[in-house]
Amino acid sequence: MPQTTLVSILEGHRSQPHQLIEVLQDVQDQYGYISEDSMRAISSELGAPLMEVYKVASFYKAFSLKPRGKNVITICTGTACHVRGANLVLNQAVGQLGIEPGEVSDDGLFTIEHVNCLGACALGPVVTENGSFHHHMNPGKLRKVIKTINSSGTEEISHG
Amino acid sequence: MNQYVTISVDGMSIDVPKGLSVLDAALGHGICIPHLCRVPYISDIGACRLCIVEHVKNGRSKITTSCTLIAKEGMVILSNTEKIIKLRRNIAELLVTEAPNSRAVQDVAMRCGVKEVRYSFRNSDCILCGRCVRSCTGLFGEKAIGFVGRGKDRRVESPFEIKSQLCNECGRCIDLCPMTVVPCDGPMMPGEERLCGNCESKMSFAEEIPGFCIACDLGEGFQCERRLFLGP
Repeated sequence: MPQTTLVSILEGHRSQPHQLIEVLQDVQDQYGYISEDSMRAISSELGAPLMEVYKVASFYKAFSLKPRGKNVITICTGTACHVRGANLVLNQAVGQLGIEPGEVSDDGLFTIEHVNCLGACALGPVVTENGSFHHHMNPGKLRKVIKTINSSGTEEISHG
Repeated sequence: MNQYVTISVDGMSIDVPKGLSVLDAALGHGICIPHLCRVPYISDIGACRLCIVEHVKNGRSKITTSCTLIAKEGMVILSNTEKIIKLRRNIAELLVTEAPNSRAVQDVAMRCGVKEVRYSFRNSDCILCGRCVRSCTGLFGEKAIGFVGRGKDRRVESPFEIKSQLCNECGRCIDLCPMTVVPCDGPMMPGEERLCGNCESKMSFAEEIPGFCIACDLGEGFQCERRLFLGP
Protein backbone atom coordinates (compact mmCIF):
# COMPACT_ATOMS: atom_id res chain seq x y z
CA MET A 1 0.00 0.00 0.00
CA PRO A 2 1.41 3.39 -0.93
CA GLN A 3 2.02 5.11 2.35
CA THR A 4 2.11 8.53 0.69
CA THR A 5 -1.64 8.47 0.06
CA LEU A 6 -2.37 7.69 3.68
CA VAL A 7 -0.08 10.49 4.77
CA SER A 8 -1.82 12.96 2.50
CA ILE A 9 -5.22 11.84 3.80
CA LEU A 10 -4.10 12.34 7.38
CA GLU A 11 -2.73 15.78 6.55
CA GLY A 12 -4.79 18.42 8.30
CA HIS A 13 -6.54 15.91 10.55
CA ARG A 14 -3.72 15.13 12.93
CA SER A 15 -4.46 15.22 16.65
CA GLN A 16 -8.14 15.75 15.97
CA PRO A 17 -9.87 12.57 17.09
CA HIS A 18 -13.33 13.96 16.33
CA GLN A 19 -12.52 13.84 12.60
CA LEU A 20 -12.15 10.09 12.73
CA ILE A 21 -15.10 9.31 10.45
CA GLU A 22 -13.95 11.72 7.75
CA VAL A 23 -10.52 10.15 7.71
CA LEU A 24 -11.99 6.65 7.59
CA GLN A 25 -14.22 7.68 4.69
CA ASP A 26 -11.23 9.03 2.78
CA VAL A 27 -9.28 5.83 3.40
CA GLN A 28 -12.26 3.77 2.31
CA ASP A 29 -12.57 5.78 -0.90
CA GLN A 30 -8.86 5.55 -1.67
CA TYR A 31 -8.17 1.91 -0.93
CA GLY A 32 -11.62 0.37 -1.11
CA TYR A 33 -11.19 -1.01 2.38
CA ILE A 34 -9.63 -0.14 5.73
CA SER A 35 -6.65 -2.28 6.57
CA GLU A 36 -5.29 -3.05 10.00
CA ASP A 37 -2.15 -1.03 9.24
CA SER A 38 -4.10 2.03 8.20
CA MET A 39 -6.25 1.75 11.31
CA ARG A 40 -3.17 1.66 13.49
CA ALA A 41 -1.72 4.65 11.62
CA ILE A 42 -4.99 6.60 11.94
CA SER A 43 -5.14 5.80 15.64
CA SER A 44 -1.67 7.10 16.37
CA GLU A 45 -1.89 10.13 14.10
CA LEU A 46 -5.31 11.28 15.24
CA GLY A 47 -4.71 10.49 18.88
CA ALA A 48 -7.82 8.33 19.01
CA PRO A 49 -7.61 5.02 20.89
CA LEU A 50 -7.22 2.03 18.58
CA MET A 51 -10.31 0.50 20.15
CA GLU A 52 -12.29 3.58 19.17
CA VAL A 53 -11.08 3.42 15.56
CA TYR A 54 -11.86 -0.28 15.30
CA LYS A 55 -15.25 0.20 16.94
CA VAL A 56 -16.28 2.91 14.50
CA ALA A 57 -14.86 1.12 11.47
CA SER A 58 -16.67 -2.10 12.37
CA PHE A 59 -19.92 -0.33 13.22
CA TYR A 60 -20.70 1.33 9.90
CA LYS A 61 -21.61 -0.73 6.89
CA ALA A 62 -20.00 1.90 4.68
CA PHE A 63 -16.58 0.80 5.91
CA SER A 64 -15.15 -2.49 4.79
CA LEU A 65 -12.45 -4.20 6.83
CA LYS A 66 -11.65 -6.73 4.11
CA PRO A 67 -10.23 -6.01 0.65
CA ARG A 68 -12.89 -5.63 -1.97
CA GLY A 69 -13.01 -6.42 -5.65
CA LYS A 70 -12.52 -3.84 -8.37
CA ASN A 71 -16.24 -3.68 -8.98
CA VAL A 72 -18.53 -3.56 -5.97
CA ILE A 73 -22.11 -4.60 -6.58
CA THR A 74 -24.35 -3.47 -3.75
CA ILE A 75 -27.79 -4.96 -3.58
CA CYS A 76 -30.41 -3.34 -1.41
CA THR A 77 -32.27 -5.87 0.70
CA GLY A 78 -34.32 -3.35 2.64
CA THR A 79 -38.01 -3.89 3.19
CA ALA A 80 -39.26 -2.18 0.03
CA CYS A 81 -36.67 -3.84 -2.19
CA HIS A 82 -37.17 -7.18 -0.47
CA VAL A 83 -40.88 -7.33 -1.20
CA ARG A 84 -40.15 -6.52 -4.82
CA GLY A 85 -37.78 -9.44 -5.14
CA ALA A 86 -34.35 -8.27 -4.01
CA ASN A 87 -33.47 -11.80 -2.91
CA LEU A 88 -33.91 -13.05 -6.47
CA VAL A 89 -31.50 -10.36 -7.64
CA LEU A 90 -29.08 -11.32 -4.88
CA ASN A 91 -29.32 -14.99 -5.81
CA GLN A 92 -28.63 -14.10 -9.45
CA ALA A 93 -25.48 -12.23 -8.49
CA VAL A 94 -24.33 -14.99 -6.13
CA GLY A 95 -24.99 -17.65 -8.75
CA GLN A 96 -23.41 -15.81 -11.65
CA LEU A 97 -20.24 -14.78 -9.86
CA GLY A 98 -19.93 -17.82 -7.64
CA ILE A 99 -19.17 -15.83 -4.51
CA GLU A 100 -21.07 -15.14 -1.32
CA PRO A 101 -21.90 -11.60 -0.18
CA GLY A 102 -18.81 -10.00 1.30
CA GLU A 103 -16.36 -12.17 -0.63
CA VAL A 104 -14.07 -11.25 -3.51
CA SER A 105 -14.21 -13.26 -6.72
CA ASP A 106 -11.05 -15.20 -7.67
CA ASP A 107 -10.08 -12.76 -10.43
CA GLY A 108 -10.38 -9.90 -7.97
CA LEU A 109 -12.97 -8.17 -10.13
CA PHE A 110 -16.17 -8.45 -8.13
CA THR A 111 -17.54 -8.09 -4.65
CA ILE A 112 -21.20 -8.52 -3.78
CA GLU A 113 -22.61 -6.67 -0.82
CA HIS A 114 -26.06 -6.28 0.58
CA VAL A 115 -27.22 -3.28 2.52
CA ASN A 116 -30.43 -2.60 4.35
CA CYS A 117 -31.47 0.55 2.57
CA LEU A 118 -30.08 2.81 -0.10
CA GLY A 119 -32.75 5.45 0.37
CA ALA A 120 -34.36 4.95 -3.03
CA CYS A 121 -37.21 2.70 -1.97
CA ALA A 122 -39.62 3.92 -4.68
CA LEU A 123 -37.23 2.65 -7.33
CA GLY A 124 -36.67 -0.79 -5.83
CA PRO A 125 -35.17 -3.25 -6.14
CA VAL A 126 -32.12 -1.03 -6.27
CA VAL A 127 -28.62 -2.20 -7.17
CA THR A 128 -25.54 -0.01 -7.30
CA GLU A 129 -22.37 -0.91 -9.08
CA ASN A 130 -19.41 1.30 -8.28
CA GLY A 131 -21.66 4.07 -7.07
CA SER A 132 -24.07 4.29 -10.00
CA PHE A 133 -27.63 3.32 -9.28
CA HIS A 134 -29.72 0.84 -11.24
CA HIS A 135 -33.43 0.93 -10.53
CA HIS A 136 -36.21 -1.64 -10.86
CA MET A 137 -33.71 -4.45 -11.11
CA ASN A 138 -34.51 -8.04 -11.88
CA PRO A 139 -32.22 -11.04 -12.34
CA GLY A 140 -32.15 -10.57 -16.12
CA LYS A 141 -31.14 -6.93 -15.98
CA LEU A 142 -28.47 -7.67 -13.39
CA ARG A 143 -27.03 -10.43 -15.57
CA LYS A 144 -26.63 -7.92 -18.39
CA VAL A 145 -25.02 -5.39 -16.05
CA ILE A 146 -22.46 -7.93 -14.84
CA LYS A 147 -21.83 -9.08 -18.41
CA THR A 148 -21.21 -5.52 -19.54
CA ILE A 149 -18.72 -4.93 -16.74
CA ASN A 150 -17.00 -8.20 -17.52
CA SER A 151 -16.67 -7.53 -21.25
CA SER A 152 -15.70 -3.88 -21.04
CA GLY A 153 -13.29 -4.56 -18.23
CA THR A 154 -13.63 -0.98 -17.13
CA GLU A 155 -15.58 0.48 -14.27
CA GLU A 156 -17.59 2.85 -16.42
CA ILE A 157 -20.78 1.72 -18.10
CA SER A 158 -23.84 3.63 -19.12
CA HIS A 159 -26.04 4.67 -16.27
CA GLY A 160 -29.01 2.34 -16.10
CA MET B 1 -21.59 22.43 49.75
CA ASN B 2 -23.93 20.03 48.06
CA GLN B 3 -26.97 21.41 46.38
CA TYR B 4 -30.08 19.35 46.80
CA VAL B 5 -33.08 18.86 44.58
CA THR B 6 -36.38 17.37 45.61
CA ILE B 7 -37.88 14.64 43.51
CA SER B 8 -40.87 12.43 44.04
CA VAL B 9 -40.42 8.69 43.66
CA ASP B 10 -43.61 6.62 43.96
CA GLY B 11 -45.26 9.50 45.80
CA MET B 12 -42.44 9.78 48.29
CA SER B 13 -40.62 13.08 48.37
CA ILE B 14 -36.85 12.69 48.63
CA ASP B 15 -33.96 15.11 48.68
CA VAL B 16 -31.02 14.12 46.53
CA PRO B 17 -27.73 15.83 45.75
CA LYS B 18 -27.76 17.63 42.42
CA GLY B 19 -26.38 15.64 39.51
CA LEU B 20 -27.20 12.22 40.92
CA SER B 21 -29.13 9.81 38.76
CA VAL B 22 -32.65 8.83 39.74
CA LEU B 23 -31.51 5.24 40.23
CA ASP B 24 -28.81 6.25 42.70
CA ALA B 25 -31.24 8.49 44.54
CA ALA B 26 -33.85 5.75 44.83
CA LEU B 27 -31.34 3.14 45.95
CA GLY B 28 -30.00 5.52 48.58
CA HIS B 29 -33.50 5.87 50.00
CA GLY B 30 -34.27 2.18 50.09
CA ILE B 31 -36.44 2.06 47.00
CA CYS B 32 -35.63 -1.03 44.99
CA ILE B 33 -35.31 -0.48 41.28
CA PRO B 34 -33.82 -3.67 39.84
CA HIS B 35 -30.66 -2.95 37.90
CA LEU B 36 -27.88 -4.98 36.36
CA CYS B 37 -25.49 -3.06 34.12
CA ARG B 38 -24.87 -0.34 36.67
CA VAL B 39 -21.43 -0.17 38.29
CA PRO B 40 -20.96 2.34 41.11
CA TYR B 41 -18.75 5.32 40.23
CA ILE B 42 -18.62 4.40 36.55
CA SER B 43 -20.68 6.16 33.89
CA ASP B 44 -24.02 4.54 33.12
CA ILE B 45 -25.15 3.71 29.62
CA GLY B 46 -28.56 2.16 30.26
CA ALA B 47 -27.63 -1.07 28.51
CA CYS B 48 -29.66 -3.67 30.40
CA ARG B 49 -32.87 -1.60 30.48
CA LEU B 50 -33.90 -3.21 33.77
CA CYS B 51 -33.98 0.02 35.72
CA ILE B 52 -36.80 1.52 33.65
CA VAL B 53 -39.14 3.95 35.41
CA GLU B 54 -42.03 6.14 34.41
CA HIS B 55 -41.12 9.79 34.29
CA VAL B 56 -44.30 11.84 34.53
CA LYS B 57 -44.05 15.21 32.89
CA ASN B 58 -46.95 17.54 32.03
CA GLY B 59 -49.42 14.77 32.72
CA ARG B 60 -47.76 12.37 30.29
CA SER B 61 -45.50 9.58 31.34
CA LYS B 62 -42.40 8.57 29.50
CA ILE B 63 -40.58 5.31 30.12
CA THR B 64 -36.86 5.70 30.45
CA THR B 65 -33.91 4.13 32.21
CA SER B 66 -33.42 5.65 35.63
CA CYS B 67 -29.65 5.18 35.63
CA THR B 68 -29.24 7.68 32.81
CA LEU B 69 -31.93 10.05 34.13
CA ILE B 70 -30.42 12.86 36.16
CA ALA B 71 -32.56 14.01 39.07
CA LYS B 72 -34.02 17.48 38.52
CA GLU B 73 -36.13 19.63 40.81
CA GLY B 74 -39.78 18.60 40.95
CA MET B 75 -39.37 15.41 38.93
CA VAL B 76 -42.15 12.86 39.36
CA ILE B 77 -41.01 9.25 39.05
CA LEU B 78 -43.11 6.13 39.25
CA SER B 79 -41.02 3.02 39.63
CA ASN B 80 -43.58 0.40 40.43
CA THR B 81 -46.66 0.75 38.30
CA GLU B 82 -48.36 -2.19 36.61
CA LYS B 83 -46.95 -1.13 33.28
CA ILE B 84 -43.38 -0.90 34.54
CA ILE B 85 -43.56 -4.21 36.36
CA LYS B 86 -44.83 -5.92 33.22
CA LEU B 87 -42.20 -4.36 30.98
CA ARG B 88 -39.43 -5.07 33.44
CA ARG B 89 -40.50 -8.68 33.72
CA ASN B 90 -40.41 -9.03 29.95
CA ILE B 91 -36.96 -7.46 29.75
CA ALA B 92 -35.66 -9.73 32.50
CA GLU B 93 -37.19 -12.71 30.73
CA LEU B 94 -35.36 -11.82 27.54
CA LEU B 95 -32.10 -11.43 29.45
CA VAL B 96 -32.50 -14.93 30.90
CA THR B 97 -33.32 -16.21 27.42
CA GLU B 98 -30.14 -14.72 26.06
CA ALA B 99 -27.89 -15.94 28.85
CA PRO B 100 -29.50 -18.49 31.16
CA ASN B 101 -26.19 -19.70 32.56
CA SER B 102 -25.65 -16.95 35.05
CA ARG B 103 -26.79 -16.79 38.61
CA ALA B 104 -26.67 -13.00 38.54
CA VAL B 105 -29.09 -12.79 35.65
CA GLN B 106 -31.34 -15.48 37.14
CA ASP B 107 -31.46 -13.65 40.45
CA VAL B 108 -32.30 -10.28 39.06
CA ALA B 109 -34.95 -11.88 36.85
CA MET B 110 -36.44 -13.42 39.95
CA ARG B 111 -36.51 -10.05 41.62
CA CYS B 112 -38.39 -8.77 38.59
CA GLY B 113 -40.94 -11.55 39.01
CA VAL B 114 -39.95 -13.91 36.20
CA LYS B 115 -41.36 -17.33 36.97
CA GLU B 116 -41.01 -19.04 33.66
CA VAL B 117 -39.32 -18.22 30.40
CA ARG B 118 -41.46 -18.49 27.33
CA TYR B 119 -38.66 -18.45 24.79
CA SER B 120 -36.05 -21.04 23.90
CA PHE B 121 -32.67 -20.37 25.43
CA ARG B 122 -29.89 -18.93 23.34
CA ASN B 123 -27.08 -19.91 25.71
CA SER B 124 -25.05 -16.87 24.86
CA ASP B 125 -22.14 -15.94 27.09
CA CYS B 126 -22.77 -12.24 27.01
CA ILE B 127 -25.72 -9.94 27.56
CA LEU B 128 -23.80 -6.86 26.34
CA CYS B 129 -24.26 -5.03 29.61
CA GLY B 130 -20.98 -3.25 28.95
CA ARG B 131 -19.71 -3.51 32.53
CA CYS B 132 -16.37 -4.86 31.35
CA VAL B 133 -16.05 -2.23 28.63
CA ARG B 134 -16.86 0.62 30.97
CA SER B 135 -14.65 -0.57 33.79
CA CYS B 136 -11.65 -1.23 31.52
CA THR B 137 -9.01 1.43 31.81
CA GLY B 138 -6.14 -0.44 30.23
CA LEU B 139 -2.66 0.96 30.16
CA PHE B 140 -2.39 4.74 29.76
CA GLY B 141 -6.16 5.05 30.10
CA GLU B 142 -6.68 3.51 26.67
CA LYS B 143 -9.29 0.79 26.62
CA ALA B 144 -8.20 -2.71 25.69
CA ILE B 145 -11.71 -3.95 24.93
CA GLY B 146 -14.82 -2.41 23.49
CA PHE B 147 -17.97 -3.05 21.54
CA VAL B 148 -17.43 -4.17 17.97
CA GLY B 149 -19.97 -4.47 15.20
CA ARG B 150 -23.61 -3.64 15.58
CA GLY B 151 -27.06 -5.07 15.80
CA LYS B 152 -27.06 -8.81 16.31
CA ASP B 153 -23.33 -8.97 15.57
CA ARG B 154 -22.44 -6.62 18.39
CA ARG B 155 -19.89 -8.14 20.73
CA VAL B 156 -17.14 -7.28 23.16
CA GLU B 157 -13.76 -7.65 21.52
CA SER B 158 -10.20 -6.38 21.46
CA PRO B 159 -9.05 -4.53 18.35
CA PHE B 160 -8.51 -6.98 15.45
CA GLU B 161 -9.63 -9.80 17.71
CA ILE B 162 -6.20 -10.36 19.18
CA LYS B 163 -5.46 -9.66 22.81
CA SER B 164 -4.55 -6.03 23.12
CA GLN B 165 -1.15 -5.05 24.45
CA LEU B 166 -2.98 -2.37 26.38
CA CYS B 167 -4.54 -4.94 28.69
CA ASN B 168 -2.89 -4.56 32.08
CA GLU B 169 -4.29 -7.85 33.35
CA CYS B 170 -6.14 -6.23 36.21
CA GLY B 171 -9.03 -8.69 35.91
CA ARG B 172 -11.60 -6.06 36.69
CA CYS B 173 -13.67 -6.95 33.65
CA ILE B 174 -13.93 -10.54 34.86
CA ASP B 175 -14.76 -9.50 38.41
CA LEU B 176 -17.61 -7.33 37.24
CA CYS B 177 -18.98 -9.71 34.61
CA PRO B 178 -22.39 -11.04 35.63
CA MET B 179 -21.74 -14.15 33.54
CA THR B 180 -19.00 -15.41 35.84
CA VAL B 181 -21.44 -16.29 38.59
CA VAL B 182 -22.17 -20.02 38.56
CA PRO B 183 -25.83 -20.56 37.71
CA CYS B 184 -28.42 -21.99 40.04
CA ASP B 185 -29.50 -25.56 39.45
CA GLY B 186 -33.01 -24.84 38.25
CA PRO B 187 -33.15 -22.97 35.01
CA MET B 188 -36.60 -21.59 34.61
CA MET B 189 -37.77 -23.78 31.76
CA PRO B 190 -41.38 -23.52 30.68
CA GLY B 191 -43.41 -26.23 32.37
CA GLU B 192 -40.61 -27.48 34.55
CA GLU B 193 -39.71 -24.79 36.99
CA ARG B 194 -37.25 -26.34 39.36
CA LEU B 195 -36.69 -23.59 41.84
CA CYS B 196 -34.94 -24.80 44.95
CA GLY B 197 -36.38 -23.96 48.36
CA ASN B 198 -33.90 -21.17 48.83
CA CYS B 199 -34.95 -19.50 45.59
CA GLU B 200 -38.61 -19.97 46.41
CA SER B 201 -38.33 -18.19 49.72
CA LYS B 202 -36.42 -15.38 48.08
CA MET B 203 -39.11 -15.22 45.46
CA SER B 204 -41.92 -14.85 47.96
CA PHE B 205 -40.02 -12.05 49.64
CA ALA B 206 -39.56 -10.29 46.34
CA GLU B 207 -43.24 -10.61 45.55
CA GLU B 208 -44.46 -9.33 48.89
CA ILE B 209 -42.60 -6.05 48.79
CA PRO B 210 -41.61 -5.38 45.20
CA GLY B 211 -40.90 -1.68 45.54
CA PHE B 212 -38.68 -1.60 48.59
CA CYS B 213 -35.20 -2.79 49.22
CA ILE B 214 -35.37 -5.79 51.50
CA ALA B 215 -31.63 -6.34 51.52
CA CYS B 216 -32.16 -9.50 49.52
CA ASP B 217 -29.30 -11.60 48.24
CA LEU B 218 -30.53 -11.31 44.70
CA GLY B 219 -28.20 -8.46 43.89
CA GLU B 220 -25.09 -10.30 44.96
CA GLY B 221 -24.09 -11.38 41.48
CA PHE B 222 -23.84 -7.86 40.15
CA GLN B 223 -22.78 -5.93 43.24
CA CYS B 224 -26.10 -4.26 43.98
CA GLU B 225 -25.37 -0.78 45.23
CA ARG B 226 -27.75 -1.12 48.15
CA ARG B 227 -25.72 -3.95 49.61
CA LEU B 228 -22.70 -1.68 49.68
CA PHE B 229 -24.68 0.85 51.68
CA LEU B 230 -25.88 -1.71 54.17
CA GLY B 231 -22.66 -3.62 54.48
CA PRO B 232 -22.40 -7.39 54.32
